[in-house]
Amino acid sequence: MDNQTAAAAAGTPVVPKPSQPKVKGAKRFFKLLLKQKALICMSVPFVIWIFVFKYLPLWGWTIAFQHYRPNLGMFQQEWVGLSQFKFLFSDDSFIRVMRNTLAMAVIKLVLGFVTAITLAVLLNELRLIFFKRFVQTISYLPHFISWVVAANLISTALSIDGDGIINKVLVGLHIIPEPIMWLGIGPYFWGILGISEVWKDVGWNTIVYLAAMTMIDPSQYEAAEIDGANRFQRILRVTLPGLKPVIIILLIMNLGSILETGFEPQYLLGNGMNAEYSENLEIFVLKYGISMGNFSLATAAGIFKTVVSFILLFSANALAKRMGEERLF
Amino acid sequence: MVRKKLAMLGLALLMTASLTACGGGGNGGKNNASSAEPSGNAGASNSANNTAQEDKTPVTFTYFNANSQVPDIDSNKTEIGKKLEEQTGVNFKLQFPVGDVNTKIGTMIASGDYPDVLAPDTAIDKILDAKAFIPLNDLIEQYGPNIKRVYGPYFNQMKQADGNIYFLPFSAVVGDYLPAPTIGQGAFFIQRRVLKEFGYPKIKTLDEYFDLIKKYNDAHKSEGLTGFTSLTYDWRTMGIFNAPMHLAGYPNDGDVIVDMATHKANVYADDDYTKRWLKKLNEINNEGLYDKSSFVNNYDQYLAKVSSGKVLGFFDYEWEVDQAIQNIRKTGNDDLDYMPLPIVFDQNTKDQYLDPNSFVDNRGVGITTSAKDPVRIIKFFDNMLKEENQIMIQWGFKGETYEVNDQGRFYLTPEQIEARKDNATNQKVGFTYFNYSWPMYGTASTLSDGNAYAVNSQPEVAQASFTEGDRNILEKYGVRTFSELFAAPDDRPWYPAWSISIEQGSPAEIFQQKSKDVKLKYFPKLVLAKPDQFDAIWEEYLKEFGKLDVKGFESTMDELIAAKIAKVTGTGN
Repeated sequence: MDNQTAAAAAGTPVVPKPSQPKVKGAKRFFKLLLKQKALICMSVPFVIWIFVFKYLPLWGWTIAFQHYRPNLGMFQQEWVGLSQFKFLFSDDSFIRVMRNTLAMAVIKLVLGFVTAITLAVLLNELRLIFFKRFVQTISYLPHFISWVVAANLISTALSIDGDGIINKVLVGLHIIPEPIMWLGIGPYFWGILGISEVWKDVGWNTIVYLAAMTMIDPSQYEAAEIDGANRFQRILRVTLPGLKPVIIILLIMNLGSILETGFEPQYLLGNGMNAEYSENLEIFVLKYGISMGNFSLATAAGIFKTVVSFILLFSANALAKRMGEERLF
Repeated sequence: MVRKKLAMLGLALLMTASLTACGGGGNGGKNNASSAEPSGNAGASNSANNTAQEDKTPVTFTYFNANSQVPDIDSNKTEIGKKLEEQTGVNFKLQFPVGDVNTKIGTMIASGDYPDVLAPDTAIDKILDAKAFIPLNDLIEQYGPNIKRVYGPYFNQMKQADGNIYFLPFSAVVGDYLPAPTIGQGAFFIQRRVLKEFGYPKIKTLDEYFDLIKKYNDAHKSEGLTGFTSLTYDWRTMGIFNAPMHLAGYPNDGDVIVDMATHKANVYADDDYTKRWLKKLNEINNEGLYDKSSFVNNYDQYLAKVSSGKVLGFFDYEWEVDQAIQNIRKTGNDDLDYMPLPIVFDQNTKDQYLDPNSFVDNRGVGITTSAKDPVRIIKFFDNMLKEENQIMIQWGFKGETYEVNDQGRFYLTPEQIEARKDNATNQKVGFTYFNYSWPMYGTASTLSDGNAYAVNSQPEVAQASFTEGDRNILEKYGVRTFSELFAAPDDRPWYPAWSISIEQGSPAEIFQQKSKDVKLKYFPKLVLAKPDQFDAIWEEYLKEFGKLDVKGFESTMDELIAAKIAKVTGTGN
C-alpha cells in the first residue's frame, strides 16, 4: 500500500525530460500521438463539436456579401460585394449608434466591476452569516427577473405621474423643485441604464468573487493581523491581490464582448426622446436589418462586431501577457 | 516543417471524414422525409379522384396564427372546431405567437420549416418574399367552388405580380355592404362626463374639442385629471402621427394623404397639417392639459392611464384602446366611458374617419410549402366558406348562442350578449379561434337571408348590446348608432394605402423607418417646447426631414397607388 502510493506519487512528476533521445519529424509526432492516444481520443468529439457548431456556421457569413433571399439556394444568390458594409458605415446614424454602444459598454463594464468587487469585499468582511446570506439573496434576486418586467418596474419608478417613486422622494426631500421626466432626457439615459444594470446584476456578479475569496489562504490574513494590519489594510493587501487573477481574466473575457451591450434594456427603456442616446448597434440592426428582412445587413453588422471583439480580446490578452499578469491563453 | 503540415493535413482529413459521416446521416434523414412526402400526396390525389366519397380520415395540421395572442389549442377542443372536424376529419393544432411576430416568422424563414397553414399578419411580405406559400390557383380551380363564390370578385386584387394567388385575405364582402354601428377605427375620444357637464354640445373642430376639455379641467382642478394623452411606443405611434391626416378630412392612408382627384400621394409629416396639430398640442401642453409622459410611456402604462378614467380625451384607434375602454365599462360608471367624435381642423371640412369599403389585400392566410396535404386543407377552407358554416363560425349554434325570430332575423338574448363578453366562453365555443384569420366573409358582409354576417353589425344586436349610457348619449345627439355621427366614406379605390406592400429593404421602406426616427425625435421637442421656440424647432425639424428622400417615397407611392387602382377597377392585370 505504502509502496504503491509512493511509487504513484513519485511516478508522475519524475518524468526524465532530457533522457528521451531526440526523434525527428513525423516519427516523433506519431510517437507522441501514440503516447497520448487516450488524450487525443477524448478530445476528438469536442474538436468535432466545436468545428460543427462554431466553425461551420461561419459559412453563413457569406450572406453579408449577398443580397440574400431566403428562398434561393446558395448559388442563386446575388452577390453584392461590400455594399452592405457600405450602407452600415455610411449611414448617418452609424457614428451615433457606435458612440452609444461603446459608451454604454464602458459604463456597464466599469460600474459592473467596481460595484461587484466592492459588494463582494464587503460581504466577505461580514461575520454575521445570516445577514450575509440575506444581503446576498436580496442582491442577486433581480438577476432572475426578465428585462421586460424589470423595464416596466424601472420606467414606473421613474415616471412623473403619481406612482413614480424616485420623483416623489426627490421632490419630497426638496432636492428637485418639480418631477423630472428621467427617461425623456437623452443624456440621463446612460446613467439610468448603468444603474439599472448594476441593480439587476450586482449580486449575481459577486458570486464569482466570493468564490475566489474562499481560495485565499487564511494564514495570509493571520499573518497580516499579526503584523498589525487593520481591516482596511487587510482588504487592500490580502483580499484584493488575491482576487487579481480572477479580475483580470474576467476583464479580458468581458472586453471580448464589449460590443454586446445587450439589446433588451435599451429597446424597452428607449423612446423617441432618448433615442439619441439609447439606440445601440443591436437596435440599429433590428430596425434596418431584421425588421426589413435584410438579413445580409444583420450579418454584416455581426461580422463587424466579431472583428472588433476579436481585436479587443487579443490586445487585452497581449497586454496582460506583457505586464506579466494572468491571461486567458 | 513540411512534415508537420502534412500531419496537420492528415488530421484535417480525419475530421472531414468523420464529418461526412455525420452529413451522410443527415441526408439519410432528409431522404426519408422526402420519400414520405410523395406517398402523402399520392393519398391525397387518390382521394381527389374519387370525390364521390370524401376523404374524412382524421388528420391534424398545424396552423400558426400571428394575428392574435391567445392560448394554443387543438381546434377540435372547441365546439365549432369539433363540428368542422365531423364534416371534414380535419383537426388543427392552433398556435399563436408569444412575443415578437417578426422574429418568429424570421426564424421560420431561416429554417425553412413552416406550419401547414400560416397567417403571418404584418410579416406577410417576408413570407411572400421567401416563397413560403404555395400558389393556390389550381387548388381553388379544382376544389374551391365556395372560395370562388366568395373571393371571385377579388381574384384580380389577390394576384401577386407573378399572377398567382398565394393567400386568402379576410375582407371579401359578400352580399350588401353593411358598415359597423360602432367605431372600430380612429376617432377623437372624449370622456362622456365632459359632454354631460356642458349639455352635450355638438363639437366639430379641434379648437372646440380642446376648449371643452379645458373648461372641464378648470372646473375640476383638484381632481388631478389629465386633459389629453397619446402614445408613441414601438410601432404604436399612430396616436400622434396619424391625427393630422384625419383632422384634415382624410381616412387612414398611413404615411401619406392621397388626393381624391389626381391620386397623388403626399407625405403630410412635413406639411402645415402636422404643424397645426403639433402647435395645438404645444399650446395645450403649456396650459398644463397635455400628458407629458405620453412620449415615454409604454403601451401598458398608456392602457393603465386610460383605464384609470382620469383622462379627459385622446386620439387613437379603437382597437388599440379597446382593452382600457372595456375596463372602464366594467366599473359601470358611464360618465367615465368615452365618446368617439369626428373632429376636424375647420368647420367646413368633411370628416373621413370611417373606412371606405375596401379590400385589405396584404393580410391573409395561406398554405405553406411545408404543408403535408394541401388538398385536404383547401377542401377544409372551402367547406368553411359554405354559408351555414360561416353562420356557425360567427353566430354559433341556434338556440344556444343566438336566436331566430319569426321573421328569420337573428338576435341575441341579454344572457347571450353577456356570455359573448366572457373570454372563457368564447374560447370554449371557438369564436376566439375561428371568427377571424380564416378564409371568411368580410365583416361588412350580409347573409343571403338579409341578416348581418358579423354579430355586432346586426342592428338588433347592436341596439341590444348598447349600455344604458350608450343609448342615452346617442339619443342626446339624435342618432341611432355611433357611426351615424361620422360622415359616410367617399369611394377610394386605392384605400387603404397603408396596406399596399412596399418592397423589403427598398429605399421606400428605409424612408419609412428614417422618417419615423426623425418624427419620434422632433415631435416631443415640438410639443414640449416653450411656445416662442416652436417655430425655430419646426424649421430645424423641416431641415432634418428634408434630408430624407421624400420625393422618392412619394413617387413610389404614386406608382403603387396607380397600380392598385388599376387592379381594383379592373383596368390592370
